[in-house]
Amino acid sequence: MKAKKKIGDPLEALGNPYRREIVQLLSARPRSVQEIADHLPISRPAVSRHLSVLGRAGLVSDEQVGTRRLYRLERRYLTRVWSDVATRFKLFAENTTRRTR
Amino acid sequence: MIEPLRIAFDVECSPDHAFETWTSKATAWWPAEHTMSHERGARIVFEPRVGGRIFERTADGHEMEWGEIVEWDPPRRLRYLWHIATEPENATDVSIDFHLAPRGTRIEIEHGGWERLGEIGQVWRDANQAGWDGVLPSYTEAARTRGA
Repeated sequence: MKAKKKIGDPLEALGNPYRREIVQLLSARPRSVQEIADHLPISRPAVSRHLSVLGRAGLVSDEQVGTRRLYRLERRYLTRVWSDVATRFKLFAENTTRRTR
Repeated sequence: MIEPLRIAFDVECSPDHAFETWTSKATAWWPAEHTMSHERGARIVFEPRVGGRIFERTADGHEMEWGEIVEWDPPRRLRYLWHIATEPENATDVSIDFHLAPRGTRIEIEHGGWERLGEIGQVWRDANQAGWDGVLPSYTEAARTRGA
């Protein structure tokens, strides 16, 4: 049996066509649920549910701006993975090598 | 073809040590939050050959596959199919080159094969690009600070 990741999987989150459209809409600029719903043939509650899946996967974040809640693309998932990996690798490799200087 | 993501940085050690650290010491340095189990103490194994598996083994013996090695050329180059976040048939490609550099080793990582993810590939890749562009300057800065 294959184990799944405990937190939302970003690629799995993108497996739904509406969620891909939402990501594309947000790649232009942050938007409210209503603005997203205006572009899609689905209801506001449905948009909210998709946003929540994208949020759990770390792809979308939200913030309150005045009276509106805006959703924005979190562009950093892979960046975070690779920069953490590279940083830890660099520290460990340098600390375990014999200095030649 | 969808343009791969690329990252490069310098490490102050020999290519031999860098290659060996990447492939046989990953258990010691791979960040636990980026494993499949998220468990500290999980073993990470790169089987040292073409066709070798890359997998994680948790303390209770559960194995989870991350990918498969397709190029094994120590201490210069390593390439693997990577499916830690996807099904195996949608694996992306990771290649890591270890170049001898004046102060040690220059490591160049390329992460591509996004077209295999179908429609998701371009969106996923674009969603990561902006943040990615910011990675290199922060490394250069970190390397300079450490070297000072």
